[in-house]
Amino acid sequence: MRNRLRELRAARRWSQADLADRCQVSRQAINAIETERYDPSLPLAFTIADVFGLAIEEIFHPDRMETTGDPA
Amino acid sequence: MKSSDLDFMEGAPYIHRMAKQVQQDQVTRAARRAVLIDGIPVATLGGIALALGSTPDQSTAQKAWWIATTTVFTLAVAWVLLRAFRRADEYLRRIQLESMAVAFAAVLVGLQVATLLDAAGVIRLRQLAQLILLGGVAVWLLIADLRTRLHR
Repeated sequence: MRNRLRELRAARRWSQADLADRCQVSRQAINAIETERYDPSLPLAFTIADVFGLAIEEIFHPDRMETTGDPA
Repeated sequence: MKSSDLDFMEGAPYIHRMAKQVQQDQVTRAARRAVLIDGIPVATLGGIALALGSTPDQSTAQKAWWIATTTVFTLAVAWVLLRAFRRADEYLRRIQLESMAVAFAAVLVGLQVATLLDAAGVIRLRQLAQLILLGGVAVWLLIADLRTRLHR
């Protein structure tokens, strides 16, 4: 699963530690999600979306969207 | 990412942020220290239980001490595991579980080899059983620690 976490975080000038504090997870978890080594659980994805004030689908994208080019 | 964001990362505020990140790393190190603080007394207790169990021709009192120490050690290991899981978030919990799976496999292989050697009369299984379990705990802690250190 791809995500825009790094981009959104940079736009808000937050460090990984800042985002981790806001999401109440470890910095390693944020780093693993950003580098796409770990896909967050649905509750954590909702928390991240809440922190950025966005919908989940605006942050996380399934890989298939890039391969097919059309999610529908 | 916009160029202004990259400019920001080069500037002084970024250094301040990095300093805060280092501070957060210290928090992580504190969490790791907490695991060690939990783990060292339990590992010591395991060593004592091992030493008590290794004594040949035990008296009844020695056996009672050995059983009591081993029971306390087992409960202490469960307590350390519980505390480690409560402390962890979902990502660290997954690392812990994967490390435990590897450690469990190592313990199974160790026990299997020890059982074969026992059957062949090379070693006595009861002398090695606790050592193998302690080795499993060591493998678990080592893998979990290495994985969190390598993926910063």
